[in-house]
Amino acid sequence: MIQAKNRMGLIFFPAYDWAISPTHPEREERLLYTQDQLREEGIFDIDGLVEYKPDIATEEDVMRLHFCFPDVETVTTESHMISAGGAIKAARIVMEGQVDKAFALVRPPGHHAMKSVHGNRGFCNINNEAIMIEYIRDNYGVKKVAVVDTDCHHGDGSQDIYWNDPDVLYISIHQDGRTLYPGSGHVDELGGPNAAGKTINIPLPPETSDEGILYAIDEMVLPILKDFKPELIVNSAGQDNHYTDPITNMNFSAQGYAMLNEKLNPDIAVLEGGYSIQGALPYVNLGIILAMSGVDYSHVREPDYSAAALRQDPRIMDYIKKLKNTVLDAYRKPPRYEGLPPYGEFMKRKKNIFYDTDGIRETQMESILRCKECSGLFSLETYSTVCELSLGIEIPLGACPACQKEGVKQLNAAKKSGKYGTIQVIDRVKKEYYRV
Amino acid sequence: MAKSDLFLGLDVGGTHTDAVLIGDKGIVAHYKAVTDHDNLFLSVRTAIEKISGEAERKNIKRLNLSTTLSTNAIVENKLEDVCVIISSGPGIDPEQFRIGRYFYPVSGSIDHRGKAVSGIDAASVARIVGEAASKKVRTFAAVTKFSTRNPDQENVIAAEAKGKSDFITLGHKLSGQLGFPRRVVTAYFNSAVWRIYNGFADAIDACLTELGILAEVNVLKADGGTMPFSLSRGVPVETILSGPAASVMGIAALCDITQDCVVLDIGGTTTDIAVFAGGVPLIEKDGISLQNYPTLVRALRTRSIGVGGDSVIRATAKGVTVGPDRKGPAMAAGGKEPALVDAMNARGIISYMDVKKSRDGIAALAKKKNMTPQKLADAAIDSAVAAIRADVNAMLEDINNRPVYTIHEMLEGAQLAPKKLYVMGGPAEAFREKLAGAFGLPVVLPKNFEVANAIGAALARTTIDIELFADTGRGELLIPNIDVRQKVASGYTLKDAERDVRIHLANHLKGLGLTVSEADTEIIESSSFNMIDGYYSAGKDIRVKCQIKPGVLKRLS
Repeated sequence: MIQAKNRMGLIFFPAYDWAISPTHPEREERLLYTQDQLREEGIFDIDGLVEYKPDIATEEDVMRLHFCFPDVETVTTESHMISAGGAIKAARIVMEGQVDKAFALVRPPGHHAMKSVHGNRGFCNINNEAIMIEYIRDNYGVKKVAVVDTDCHHGDGSQDIYWNDPDVLYISIHQDGRTLYPGSGHVDELGGPNAAGKTINIPLPPETSDEGILYAIDEMVLPILKDFKPELIVNSAGQDNHYTDPITNMNFSAQGYAMLNEKLNPDIAVLEGGYSIQGALPYVNLGIILAMSGVDYSHVREPDYSAAALRQDPRIMDYIKKLKNTVLDAYRKPPRYEGLPPYGEFMKRKKNIFYDTDGIRETQMESILRCKECSGLFSLETYSTVCELSLGIEIPLGACPACQKEGVKQLNAAKKSGKYGTIQVIDRVKKEYYRV
Repeated sequence: MAKSDLFLGLDVGGTHTDAVLIGDKGIVAHYKAVTDHDNLFLSVRTAIEKISGEAERKNIKRLNLSTTLSTNAIVENKLEDVCVIISSGPGIDPEQFRIGRYFYPVSGSIDHRGKAVSGIDAASVARIVGEAASKKVRTFAAVTKFSTRNPDQENVIAAEAKGKSDFITLGHKLSGQLGFPRRVVTAYFNSAVWRIYNGFADAIDACLTELGILAEVNVLKADGGTMPFSLSRGVPVETILSGPAASVMGIAALCDITQDCVVLDIGGTTTDIAVFAGGVPLIEKDGISLQNYPTLVRALRTRSIGVGGDSVIRATAKGVTVGPDRKGPAMAAGGKEPALVDAMNARGIISYMDVKKSRDGIAALAKKKNMTPQKLADAAIDSAVAAIRADVNAMLEDINNRPVYTIHEMLEGAQLAPKKLYVMGGPAEAFREKLAGAFGLPVVLPKNFEVANAIGAALARTTIDIELFADTGRGELLIPNIDVRQKVASGYTLKDAERDVRIHLANHLKGLGLTVSEADTEIIESSSFNMIDGYYSAGKDIRVKCQIKPGVLKRLS
């Protein structure tokens, strides 16, 4: 029997009875061929690799992180709760020492889901990794976490959630937003005033292949991680950089994905996108699982792989090499925010969000109390084409007494005003999450 | 008065050979002897001769045999050299699956859809076959990745080996289940025991003729079912590890099991655990492991724990423990260290052989630890019961936490909740009350459990499982292990597949001379996925698993 070098947990939940719609890429058989490949390869017989059943995320797990309007039930289905629960299970088995590493091979994905949720955007409703990370921070006392998002699309949801959080480093490698949904993820998106440089974007040109992506890992991601010293590394393991993916334009291979994983050495990986369900996913997932288990993956190759056909244009490499310094500077010397309000006052930011899957338009007014003691009371007024004006108030992790007090004050005022359809409160200090 | 039909069950176990003869009114005779390890055939013949008279032999309708022949050959490495030819395509390095002295990975590749990605190199297969022939290797095994989706490349190997081999195992004929490494191992073992098994089978056939037995002859499998003896000649690997399954089926025959329950077989060195769900014994998901090799051989889900009558008692700083090892026999039977049965003897729960020696041994150990003998003996018995209980619970937890793949199963999946405990084995009676207390469940000790294994062998039904795979885009339907391959129309549906899989199974069994009613067949998994190419439908991927589940021909309760 093959022996895994790392004890590895695999949470495999293909949700064979759930689809966004019958011909949508996010449909029933997305992981069917992956399961066939994994079974045929004997993955589940590798000594040291154990398959686990996902947990089902609770409403509390979701409300610890998200503002869901009007409520969790309306914006999710059971499949979302199981997918998020799969990520939580991965976290639990790693944090409790049952395994060294875990991979939540679950669907539907989550990285386009933002702090405020009105529906589905980019195939995502709730953010599996972020729900998991907040579960970990509440239950295991972990502080510093790094998320490396290797999905081909910019993880704008994860970026939004951790924009102001200095303890969660979010790094996204993706196809340049000028050429692909959701259009964001430019190098100059670096995090809010509390967390400047803790959001890092590495947009790569279309047709970047193994060489370019692995260069970005070696020369940009790894040095940044080394400096940040996270207690935990999470990989948002999207698989749509693959050369056969039908909705993207990159040239990454299964070997590339396996090598990326080995270099990154994540504690937990969570599946995100990837819609070449026959040509890519079976091989990419096999490569990732072998790499995470510490089993030789050098023979993993797509049936139609051709190194020559995927050879990268030298101009792409020149471009990425130039990008290196910009990215490293963005982390090491993020530009200071100018013209911020003084401490004790609120920073405000207006955002318009489009939910492409559900066709919802949302308008948000975000407000953060500038605070010297903590990351500051956070609130968000929101309304959309499907939801009346609502409010979310978050007393963040480690909030100071003044910000806690301010949170209660805002809640009372909001209740009294009667102008909000729903008010949701996230109190990370008291660990209370509720709707008013 | 019409003569009653007789069922003869034989279990040639590692230690004992048990036989029972069962008639209309129950057990007619039983027989037990020490197995002649070096001549299993002789053990079988003697058992038949001793248990039945000439007149009775003519009335034996069904003779079922459980034998350790294949298991022993593998465990003791009495294996014939096999030329294993595999093609794996991309994936895990095929060298990882190297087995036996003649192992040849060749080119060729089939993908998960059953599409040939690259052809197998027939010339190099021919060269390998020639090389094997020059080394006098006469048995072969051919396994290609995804051969259950497309057996062509295995068939190419078979064609090349034709005329130069006595026997070849083709991977796709073993099971419809995916699992290339298991297929390699199972095919190798199958070929490696083929000759020795067939030698044994020839002797049995000759002996039955000589004894005037005209019965239908079957062999037991590890899934608690039987297969026709003649058929087993081609898949001897299916006969491995059938003994424990025979005992479990014996309990099914002796008791009217209709609910979830746990069966414990408490022996000298181990306690074997099996579980029934709704009256049917649970099957291992992927197949049984032998010598640390996972195989495709279907088996009952059982678990073994190192607690039995002869398990040694230790008193340590942490408390009194029992097992998992034994240090020879119990003191009552002349051993040197106190074992579990000694504790039971000392407490007067049983009276087994030399009770005084048990008492003395327990007292001596107790004195060393400043305990009363009574306390030590109780602690030992409690510890054994606790260990059994913990293992049963762990097994139930594994079953109830098994991964599922649909939201429906995730939310509605049935949970196993045993209502009764069936206990057999030498120390069973002594454990009755303690187990009832520990589990909070009624405990049943079946009558005649001493020969449950032979009864199970006698009354086990035929089992089989097949897996249909249809790709309406490609227009093909396959049931690999019963050699069905045919065209299907693009309008073929899941309903058609569910009907056809039953028809194919019935036809297959009919060809073997077995009749089954449709009620005996059961669809256990059934799915149909629309395949999409871009935004267009590319046909349906249909999969249906069908089985005849383990069961008994009649009950003796």
